[in-house]
Amino acid sequence: MHKTPQVNEVNEFIEIASDFEDPLEVIREALSNSYDAKATQVDIKIEQDDEGRNTLIIEDDGHGMDEDNLSSFFDLGNSNKDDAIGYKGHGTKIYYKSDKIQVETVKDGTQIESVMDQPWAKLNNRELPTYSVDRRDVDEPSRTRIEVHGFQAGQGFDPQQLTYNKIEHYIRWKTIGGSTAWHFSNDFHAMEINVELSPTIDDTRQPIETDNRLKFPAENVDPDGEFVAEAMCKHYPPRELTVSLDDGRELTIEIVGMVGGKEARNKLPTYGKHSAQFGIWLAKDHIKVERYNDAIGADNEFFHFFFIANCQELELSANREKIRNKSGDVYQAITDELDRYMTKVCQETWYRDYIERRKLEDKKRSIQSQESSLEERLERTRGADGLSPSNPAEVIALLERYSANGAPESLQIADFQMNDEVNAILDTANGYEHASVQVKLSDFFEEETPLSNIDRFVCWKLGDLDALTRIERTSYLGEPIRFDFQKGEIQYGSEEPELIPVLELDGKVT
Amino acid sequence: MASFEIVAEAGEARRGQLQINDRTLETPHLFPVINFYGGGNEGALFGGGVHRTVKEFLAHDNEVTGGKEYSDLFRGVMTSIASLTDYGIREKKLEWYLGNEIREWECFSDYDGMIFADSGGYKILEQGGGLEGEDFEKEIDQDKALDMQLDLGPDIVVNLDHPIHPDDEFEERLEKMEQTAANAARFAERREEVEGACYLTVHGYYDAMLERSFDLVEAELSEPIPEAFDGIALGSLVPRKDNVEVLVEAVSDCKHVMQQRGYDDLPLHVFGISGKAMPLLVAVGADSFDSASYLHQAINGKYSVSLFDYVPIDEADFDACDCRVCNDDFHRARMRNEMDDLYQKDILGSVAAHNLAIQQRELRQFRQLIAEGDQDQVAGYLEEAAKDQKGFRKFVYQLINERMNPYFEETDTTYA
Ligand SMILES: [Zn+2]
Repeated sequence: MHKTPQVNEVNEFIEIASDFEDPLEVIREALSNSYDAKATQVDIKIEQDDEGRNTLIIEDDGHGMDEDNLSSFFDLGNSNKDDAIGYKGHGTKIYYKSDKIQVETVKDGTQIESVMDQPWAKLNNRELPTYSVDRRDVDEPSRTRIEVHGFQAGQGFDPQQLTYNKIEHYIRWKTIGGSTAWHFSNDFHAMEINVELSPTIDDTRQPIETDNRLKFPAENVDPDGEFVAEAMCKHYPPRELTVSLDDGRELTIEIVGMVGGKEARNKLPTYGKHSAQFGIWLAKDHIKVERYNDAIGADNEFFHFFFIANCQELELSANREKIRNKSGDVYQAITDELDRYMTKVCQETWYRDYIERRKLEDKKRSIQSQESSLEERLERTRGADGLSPSNPAEVIALLERYSANGAPESLQIADFQMNDEVNAILDTANGYEHASVQVKLSDFFEEETPLSNIDRFVCWKLGDLDALTRIERTSYLGEPIRFDFQKGEIQYGSEEPELIPVLELDGKVT
Repeated sequence: MASFEIVAEAGEARRGQLQINDRTLETPHLFPVINFYGGGNEGALFGGGVHRTVKEFLAHDNEVTGGKEYSDLFRGVMTSIASLTDYGIREKKLEWYLGNEIREWECFSDYDGMIFADSGGYKILEQGGGLEGEDFEKEIDQDKALDMQLDLGPDIVVNLDHPIHPDDEFEERLEKMEQTAANAARFAERREEVEGACYLTVHGYYDAMLERSFDLVEAELSEPIPEAFDGIALGSLVPRKDNVEVLVEAVSDCKHVMQQRGYDDLPLHVFGISGKAMPLLVAVGADSFDSASYLHQAINGKYSVSLFDYVPIDEADFDACDCRVCNDDFHRARMRNEMDDLYQKDILGSVAAHNLAIQQRELRQFRQLIAEGDQDQVAGYLEEAAKDQKGFRKFVYQLINERMNPYFEETDTTYA
């Protein structure tokens, strides 16, 4: 006996409709369908009534739908649009997450009105929703109007999260609205896109009016000025790369892009975390899908680049977010060729000059900040009326002056490690000594640093005498301690106390 | 006696003819390193394992060549006086070797290619200024080196040099350059004893070093360089042989220094380099190379599939190679170790001949391209050759971008 595997149709619909996560994907689907219908104009409205229910209205002047097309629109898995952007028409199933879908379409003089009631509620009741079809002849041009009432995609479609700004960037980055096709095709199919939100959602600005051409910030290849690298920008004109596969097939990759500094890149309408959106994008239908930054190589940082490499041989997941055929030779051939192309870009004279210029400007910036901190220090020194070391290294310089100017004993620094607790080796008449060089002696004790390995202190000032006396009155690391400021020594420890000489330079050096 | 004629140029690459006495060499050319004396006697082609098999190819030994002609692999060969002591030789035997010029021995009498006799500066420097045999140590100075070189009956000789090393301190490098310059001056004084061409060695990794090297030689010489020498040989690159960027810079800078000083009619030889870097170095003006890599790779069991890649011999696909060695069942059987009584040298000798054939084939193709004088084609050849060589191709693309055809000359302002 043979049995045929059964498909639970209701579950299929639920799953596909739920496969789309970003509520904005509904806009992507709408734009793609209108584009596939050869529309030159598409208007999207998102409205919200007093009870917070959302209505999407999508209208275009495309070739409209006949009854077969309408079936594809509502049915699962049989798209008759072979080169359509929407993956097998699954995209429109996102509309099922609503209270009512209403379609009004005109094709070749026939108008169809269709209504599907409570699709989401019915699916969740394990019931397949149905739709009505009413036809009549009309004398008007082709068009389609889709209304989705009570729409609630993904984790809940919250129009309050939508703003014109967000939608505009989404359209430019993730949909046909950010297409690079116009660089490559002479018979490019242009489309005007309008998006209007009801004022309860966003009343901050005018509706979005845009098109389906992704544009780069203006070129700025060799600007004048001291700090210009951020604004530099170069376009890499559209190129068609062809690659032959082992089986003789030829692939075409259409690539276009730019290299630029931060200011230039900020003019790009990225969606999501801005800085993470740069690099090399693989695209299908000239819409970005996934990045392949490996093409740039480890020597170069991805964020200087924004390239879109389109190849129709890429196969996408249902929600168009991922490439499915990554393990095949097609993907391998595409990425190999991209590697080569990007190597050419990275080895180009302009690019290398740009990177050089960036480095140079970074250095100049750091010199400038160094200059201003030197300036500040100079001011401080002037204001302090004489010597005032601010770190142990400067104390060492004063110690040298002290030794050179007829000090009772000659003390030379033999070695110095800025951050060590015992930071200096002193060369004295009695040989080498471990020493701690401090601006203020009291700072050393504040840190509660052990004294065991210190033979001598050199400091500019004793510092806070009260703080030292306070230590004297309690104890230091559990042992008695005495500071004899007259003799310049510290006595430390209970049983055989250690004597640690202290040299205070203030007043002894001019 | 010696002349160098440039037949065609494509960018900085050039195709030339080096004429020495009655021998002509098409450049760019690769001189395979041959060890003519490997410790044996004349009947055994002076021995030397795989070296011997290679010599049998060179000397048309039918038992080894399978009756085929391989002289095109050996139009010009390089040998070094330092290799005379490679096999722990006794002094008597050395004298015997040097008693006849190479072509005076019956076994090499048919050899009609050019012999480039190197001074062996690198090895002599390594051995503290001398050559060591089984029962002798010889201090080698410029005069002794040249005497030995001339004993070989060479077509090209070169002064005894003191190669520098990337790690040398400035003072050490300077001293070596001064010694090389002094040797060059002494070498020039004996120019008349040389019947062939005299090459001058220079050393340096970038322009300032090379300028110093040339300055020191010019200061020592009593006549201009082009009157005393027929060619320039750039040395000291072997320690950096895997760093293509350094090689390109060195050769290119050497070429520019030569141009500035009016020496660009002299051929430029690059010591000790072959393989994947060769086309790039030709593209920046090198005219000849020498290398033993074809042989060392064979000894290490490596079979070249291109200038870039090799595979272990037992994975080699002889059908995919168009060289005569691989198209000869006799050598296939040898390389597959399918014959009785085969020595390792017989197997590896055929592999070495194949490896050499690959390198010579590439250079021959490149020569033909340059002859057409079309820089685009040269760039196209380089690009095609490097297209699957990750890491390497960036140097090729850089070279093409900067010196040949920029990939993105002008951007198209009709869009954006
Ligand atoms: Zn072969």
